[in-house]
Amino acid sequence: MTETNFFSSGWAAVVRDALDAGPSDQVRAGKLQEYWDLFETIKSVYPASWALGCRELPAELGGGPAYLFVQWAGGTVADCRIIGPDEPLAATYVLAMDYADWKALHDGYDAQRTVMYRKILLEEGNLLEFFKTIYFFAECLAVIGAVEARYPALVPA
Amino acid sequence: MTDRPSPTAVLHEGPRALSDAQVREIEESNLADVLKVDIDDVIEYVHKDLKALPDFTTLYRKYLKQRWDVYDLDFSQDVIDWQEKMTEDERQSFMAIASGFHHGERQVEIELPVFMIGASEEEKLHIAAQIEDEARHTVFFDRFYREVVGLKGDDIMDILDASFPWVSETFVGPFGLLAYQADELRRHPYDERARVRYGTTYFLWIEGVLALSVMKVTLSYARWRGFLPAYYTGFTATCRDESRHVQGGMKYLQDAVRKDPSMINEIHDTLRTILYTSGVNSRQIYYEPLGWTQDEVRILFFQQLRRKLNDVGISLSPDLEELLTKVQPVLAGG
Ligand SMILES: [Fe+2]
Ligand SMILES: [Fe+2]
Repeated sequence: MTETNFFSSGWAAVVRDALDAGPSDQVRAGKLQEYWDLFETIKSVYPASWALGCRELPAELGGGPAYLFVQWAGGTVADCRIIGPDEPLAATYVLAMDYADWKALHDGYDAQRTVMYRKILLEEGNLLEFFKTIYFFAECLAVIGAVEARYPALVPA
Repeated sequence: MTDRPSPTAVLHEGPRALSDAQVREIEESNLADVLKVDIDDVIEYVHKDLKALPDFTTLYRKYLKQRWDVYDLDFSQDVIDWQEKMTEDERQSFMAIASGFHHGERQVEIELPVFMIGASEEEKLHIAAQIEDEARHTVFFDRFYREVVGLKGDDIMDILDASFPWVSETFVGPFGLLAYQADELRRHPYDERARVRYGTTYFLWIEGVLALSVMKVTLSYARWRGFLPAYYTGFTATCRDESRHVQGGMKYLQDAVRKDPSMINEIHDTLRTILYTSGVNSRQIYYEPLGWTQDEVRILFFQQLRRKLNDVGISLSPDLEELLTKVQPVLAGG
């Protein structure tokens, strides 16, 4: 079986299942129950959508920029797909990150520091509203990064 | 045994009155003499001028007199205390609390330059000084973790990587918010409303509430037990620096609200987001080895926030008062 490419439609389908399932038992075991209770509460009512961009997507993955669109509704992912460069970009929050940082996240770099070190940035959307649910976002970002996929090696600049 | 007061005694004392001699001791001590200064007096000193805030040139002149050389500290007694006198529980508790500061100092150093772009010329002097303070505080923790705790690494980021496992996941609440607000200022450096929101997170919450509370926990432990003299000296000198940062920050917010009373909404909106993310812990932190309980740390948080708001003349809306009752301590600062 060939591995799914990062930022392909097949990958988006796996991401959708992974987000619906939420963090693994191993991840959950490392943090307090009250933290996960808050996570589940937010997940159950979260009404917003994310467009998570990848800048400089390698040519063999289609070239970029491209966005992963995630729509939340009723505690599940109602829509999850790749938006190409020519399609309209409409989401509550538009964020973007370089390919190298997506790859680092996949290789195990911490999702909280991916936010704090401004590797992923908010390009559109209300910042203060976005941050009210930042723990939910950071845990979901870690889930997305952990999805198995083929990430081509970086071409040295 | 020691006859020093317990670390939490000041919680029940109420505000202290500082004599002129005590204020002079705090303001004029050189680095070696900072060891003799009581941390609770320094925290009281932060509030001394909040009702009649000094201007930015005065703060800059204080900085020139008070800056200290982080490379003058000698950690050799701290190494002995850390390795031989402190228990494993005390070390773990200390690491859980201090690591948020290690990362916080770095974060407030690198997020500050964009705030300078839209500042008045006098405030620029103060901010330039503060950036240098925060760089020095970053080096202070780098030296402590390297020389006393014994973390290994070739550069500053290696040591940050090594202490990061002790940082709570909830750190991304205030510090991620600050990073994104700094990015907002990078794009719109003269947006006065964005500057007030940034200032609320940085100066009121991170420096005025988180930093001063957490400083007090580790410093009162060190003073109570008579341990870690170089840590006590450097971090108490850091606290004296923070008094200038908090005073400058409160002056900025107070002036902004006086010029345009609707700016209070920006402060409230920012506090609302911060308090939403401050109601939960991701890890169990045991303060008891350092002489504190979680409830006492919460009381300290409230005291710190209330005093800033009262002294500067910022009132809270009822929904913020309600959120405030649910706040849990975040162990970090800058
Ligand atoms: Fe500071
Ligand atoms: Fe600092």
